[in-house]
Amino acid sequence: MAPTACFNCKEARAVIIRPKNRHKLCRACFISIFETEVHETIIGTNLFFPGERVAIGASGGKDSTVLAAVLKTLNERYNYGLDLCLLSIDEGIRGYRDDSLETVKRNAVQYEMPLDILGYSELYGWTMDQVVEQVGKKGNCTYCGVFRRQALDRGAARLGIKHVVTGHNADDVAETVMMNLLRGDLPRLSRGTSIVTSSDASDIKRSKPLKYAYEKEIVLYAHHRQLDYFTTECIYSPEAFRGSARTLIKDLEKIRPSSILDIVKSGEDMAALVPVEVRGAGKSKQSAEEESAGGCGSQNGRTSGGEMAAMEEQLAQNDEAESLETEIKLPNGSRVKPNRGPTGKAVKAQTIKHCERCNYISSQRICKACTLLDGLNRNRPKTAIEVGVGMEDEESSSTLMRQMERAQLSAT
Amino acid sequence: MPAKEPKKSCMECNDAEFELTVRKRQLCSLCFRRFIAHKVQSRLSVYRAFGLDGPKHQLLLPVSLGVSSSVLMHILNSDRQNRLSNGRPLGYDFKILVIEPSTIAATGVPFDQNYEALQKNLPMHDITRIPFHSIFDYVPEVNDIMQEYAGSKFIDNSTQSNEERLAAFRASISTPTSRTDVDNILLTRLVVEFAKKSGCESVMWGDSDSRLAAKALAGVAKGRGASLTWQVSDGMSPWGVRFEYPLRDLFKAELLQYESVCAELSDIVIPDQPPSENVLTKNLSIDELMLRYVQNQGAKYPGVMANVARTANKLNPSTSDNAPTCSLCASLLGNVEGNSGVTVANQAEDNHSSQFCYGCMRSRPEKLC
Amino acid sequence: MANTSNAGQGDFPIPITVEFTGGLELLFGNERKHKVVLPARLEDGSKPNISYLLKYLVDNLMKDQRIDMFIMEDNVRPGILVLINDADWELEGEETYELQQGDNIVFVSTLHGG
Repeated sequence: MAPTACFNCKEARAVIIRPKNRHKLCRACFISIFETEVHETIIGTNLFFPGERVAIGASGGKDSTVLAAVLKTLNERYNYGLDLCLLSIDEGIRGYRDDSLETVKRNAVQYEMPLDILGYSELYGWTMDQVVEQVGKKGNCTYCGVFRRQALDRGAARLGIKHVVTGHNADDVAETVMMNLLRGDLPRLSRGTSIVTSSDASDIKRSKPLKYAYEKEIVLYAHHRQLDYFTTECIYSPEAFRGSARTLIKDLEKIRPSSILDIVKSGEDMAALVPVEVRGAGKSKQSAEEESAGGCGSQNGRTSGGEMAAMEEQLAQNDEAESLETEIKLPNGSRVKPNRGPTGKAVKAQTIKHCERCNYISSQRICKACTLLDGLNRNRPKTAIEVGVGMEDEESSSTLMRQMERAQLSAT
Repeated sequence: MPAKEPKKSCMECNDAEFELTVRKRQLCSLCFRRFIAHKVQSRLSVYRAFGLDGPKHQLLLPVSLGVSSSVLMHILNSDRQNRLSNGRPLGYDFKILVIEPSTIAATGVPFDQNYEALQKNLPMHDITRIPFHSIFDYVPEVNDIMQEYAGSKFIDNSTQSNEERLAAFRASISTPTSRTDVDNILLTRLVVEFAKKSGCESVMWGDSDSRLAAKALAGVAKGRGASLTWQVSDGMSPWGVRFEYPLRDLFKAELLQYESVCAELSDIVIPDQPPSENVLTKNLSIDELMLRYVQNQGAKYPGVMANVARTANKLNPSTSDNAPTCSLCASLLGNVEGNSGVTVANQAEDNHSSQFCYGCMRSRPEKLC
Repeated sequence: MANTSNAGQGDFPIPITVEFTGGLELLFGNERKHKVVLPARLEDGSKPNISYLLKYLVDNLMKDQRIDMFIMEDNVRPGILVLINDADWELEGEETYELQQGDNIVFVSTLHGG
């Protein structure tokens, strides 16, 4: 087959086909267009301000490595005036994190950025190895996920930085849209696509500058720039992506390569169509902790195959609860009622609370991490953590409907 | 297998022998039919409530002669007959439209016998059949829209028959996903125009819960998330005709059960084509992929799948009334109000996007590069 | 039947390099680079293409039992990129691409690691 010329420069040999428009580009044009588009996203959303200190959540994996490389390039090219640094979390998983942390350390040298590594052991007194020893391999991802989210915020706070950027890409966002639709989570549907994770409950801003970048292009960018990144699966969650929404997304991409951004577009539109009164529900509870519960560093924002089963279980429970006309009780005893402010603003006005134990921002008296730690420390794992959060928002009128049905059915 | 177990009575009437298990309850066929019918009627109660004294509401029921729409038709017709013979007010009445299946599917499904059976079964009813290509008569502007949409890929030849013109346009669209997408839009527009011309204020679509879930997921995957508010939710369509989905609380499997206990349906229903086993995923349309996904996952996680359409049904319709809309599918051009995302901006590479929405742009015949 | 009498200049065995990255190397004995020599002609007389290579890799190089982590529907699993001499295989005819001497084929998983 004769080599194809680049769509852009019409000269060099095309080496990639862009998923979003099927343009065939050469290496140099691809790299430059990829960077320009991230720049346009940053400018279009006013993501940064000059002089801002920004921490890049770095795992050593492809997404965060590409993010660091691109941000460094753009910061220099367009004079953003950003003060960039790398922030890594050491979960304490021997044989897994060791190697990826080495990668991050090399990245710090390559990109001339200061690096901070914060360990779970330091923060929580437990490494993941120790957690797994206690709770077993099943369900340990929940711990890791909750710990990780706090860890990034705490690390940033420690450095006096108010903005953390993460490597979430368009595939991650698309997956989140699909999952939120499947779990019927309207509050999260209303905000899962936004580039900045709104943080009414936290003073640390979270954003994802690669939100519109296809995972495929991220990998190719890393390949063609020969970036130094590390890949392995977390040894505690092998095959985590199997049977998940991720598979569906990849099948879709095969059928219509643009579909990942198309899902992001749909998600953004639907977010604006979520009724105001349900948008805020659960927000205070989640915000800083949200982004992909159960996801781990290696899997970024990804779902696990077990998530569907958890959702089904939760739905069945809700159905049952509905038919009994009882309120769903959370394990910690707090009653769940959707935060329905009359205009939705009531939700925003909610005061920020702090965890009584660790002073981390939390809507609960005790934050999620401390609740988990309690369980660990009491030598009783798997205490109370709801897996499929956000299911409480079920249509309450369907109970009534069902009852009427029964009544009418037997009356006729 | 119910037949092999000792005789048990229906959990509802405690009288007849149970024949079917539905939602963990064992019912006789009569109670089962009542249960299903009730699920449908409760979805339409608003038409009944407001139509008791005043002028009757006129609704349109498009029937594909597939299981779901045929079952819906049967339920509505049984109810109608009951009311008429008991002298009770109808509240609403409905017309039936059959778009000839042979003009839609490439395989040329023979359906004349099914249609005759339908007529024989509903002798008192207003039934019309029209071919797909009558869209040129019902939606005269579609001709220009097609030309604009397909660009150089489709040159309309007015000396050709409508059938040939439609075939030529459909042939200009290259992928199964886009073809299914555009076909569905054209079919919807044809049904809507027929409804308007025959004085119907609403269209009752025969989509089961499973189908709606697949439609919702496929719509999202095709960049049509904003259109779910009429493609999956009950509500006003952009053409001023309401859309209702009375089967939204019923699974496909339950509709198949219903068909199995209604002998008269067997001559009417064209059975579903079994999904072809050896089609590669990449050659499926997104709609088919999602239908398969919902079927497969629905076997394991019925609750999750049932929840999809319910969730979509909770979205607010877009409020921007005067915003420009797509000339093909009537979706909003650009973003829904309040969406500041920039996926659209990335896409506006040629001037056609000023006329067609994001989703339709994706399904356009590809430019030759 | 292979037509041996017709064997010409191009019928020498085809040495190529195969690389697995992005986590795929875990399925191949944690080795990133592999040297592979393919026959010039297959039994039916055709030249080896990517489809053949995939089968060859599974039969000869793959150490892991989980074949569906690499192959689905007799093709590369969605989410795994294939580069033929650094170009996206979509530019080269995907699985129908006939391998040439000295080709460098890279399989990159996008499914692992963030």
